[in-house]
Amino acid sequence: MNNSALPSEVERFDLSARIQHIILFTTFLLLSFTGWGLKYAYRDPATAWISFWGGAKMAGIIHRVAGITMLLVFTYHQFYLVNAARKGGLRLTLVPMPKDIIDLVQNFMYFLGLRKEPPYFGKFTYMQKFDYWAVYWGMLIIGVSGFFLAFPVTVSPLFPSFTLPWIWDAIGAMHSDEALLAVVFILIAHFYGEHLRSDVFPMNWLWLTGKMPIDQLKHHHPAEYDYLFGEKKDK
Amino acid sequence: MKVVFRAVVLLLLAFAAITQAHAATDAATCLGCHGAMEGAVNVNQEKYTKSVHGSFDCVMCHMTLKGDQHKGLAGKPDKVTKDLAALLAAKSKIDPVAQAACTQCHPDVYEAYKASVHGQNVLVKKSTDGPVCTSCHGSPHYIQPKTSTESAVNHFNIVKTCGTCHEEKIMSEKYKFSENVMERYKESFHGRKLKVGHPGAPACSDCHGAHDIKDVKDPSSPVSPANKVKTCGKCHKGATPQFVAAITHQPLHPVAHFIEISLVILTVSTFIFIIIHVMLEIITDIRERVSRKGGKHE
Repeated sequence: MNNSALPSEVERFDLSARIQHIILFTTFLLLSFTGWGLKYAYRDPATAWISFWGGAKMAGIIHRVAGITMLLVFTYHQFYLVNAARKGGLRLTLVPMPKDIIDLVQNFMYFLGLRKEPPYFGKFTYMQKFDYWAVYWGMLIIGVSGFFLAFPVTVSPLFPSFTLPWIWDAIGAMHSDEALLAVVFILIAHFYGEHLRSDVFPMNWLWLTGKMPIDQLKHHHPAEYDYLFGEKKDK
Repeated sequence: MKVVFRAVVLLLLAFAAITQAHAATDAATCLGCHGAMEGAVNVNQEKYTKSVHGSFDCVMCHMTLKGDQHKGLAGKPDKVTKDLAALLAAKSKIDPVAQAACTQCHPDVYEAYKASVHGQNVLVKKSTDGPVCTSCHGSPHYIQPKTSTESAVNHFNIVKTCGTCHEEKIMSEKYKFSENVMERYKESFHGRKLKVGHPGAPACSDCHGAHDIKDVKDPSSPVSPANKVKTCGKCHKGATPQFVAAITHQPLHPVAHFIEISLVILTVSTFIFIIIHVMLEIITDIRERVSRKGGKHE
């Protein structure tokens, strides 16, 4: 293998994707912080926490503005994908494949010492795909229910009368429970998997640089490494 | 020496006579004893003078007084107050006349109360359940303006005040209102927002009315089917019958309960999965590092 021909790092996220990530996590944090106070309104220190955000009225405004911004960046992301596809630069590396199930099984075998090598991961592991598509789930469940809660008078004609005795409780539960799920997932799976694992600790600078060192790519995403540099290796 | 002694005695007697003459109308005189007494007859002078009624003489409300020690101090209640006091005797055991005396300065509130479901229950049905003035406003000696956070009927305290009766299962069974009415309000967005200090979030009285409160089944209630659209429309412009069905304070519907349980199962199972996954990842990461010893990838 000719190491000198290989770059020291590869770009994983372009500038637009990095900006989208920054807007997404900023709005996500603002929404979590302000929403948390209302979800646990009857537990201390909810009232003090809401005061910190400028009182209940201000916290409500922050929550709505952040929510709309998040929905906008999500919409923008769809155009970003279409644009990438149009330019022919869209590889379907995030689409869930049957191989992800195999990877999952193999990964657990590797965890338990039943396998010597980690799975032959592609550009994105099954956890990363889950992470990505969880945003779509979140936007669908939390985004739509949030929109309903923000404009209850406007959306109320949409609901048939037999749903009325329970629909608003269901919408409220969907909004706050799925938000909790998202927070828990980000705090544990995303933070550990992307930022806190030992080879990038305490922070994966990828979110700012967009670039991954080649040794990390080879270790964590061997299939992608081979896809990018495999031919060179063969020559 | 004798002259001086006589003068002092005379002066003291004169002073005593003057205080005696003013005793009948002076709150300070009453508080001379009642400020120091213990139990139900105690009045905290400091808190009393700071209350909205702090400038009143006690006998303005306590028009009848029992016992020889009060002889000559009491006034005379008029017939209206006396009659009302007789109706309130079962509710207001310590001094029904004083309780009835509120109406002398607040006749409009009394008229509204008289027609309300609370007033009807107390005055007409002679029930001991309904509230009289002090049940909601607290001790008449320490009433604060509604804007004060210490007031029991302050916007942010009213839910707790109504809850003293409406949270009781005996009450919901007897008067056939939703058993979970308080709980369901508290977990609603209205209740939560009020709890964290939103000035615009409605408390009980904002929709149901206060002194003029009516049974929900009464067509004149602001939350009756006929009036609900208008009442909700105070905040929610363009409210429709479809929209106002959102708030009922009825127990959680089984479908909503089922959806909530499903969401909890989804959240908990995802949580368990990621916890196990991350734990295994950490252990494997450590194992890998130890076996590699260098910390660099191969």
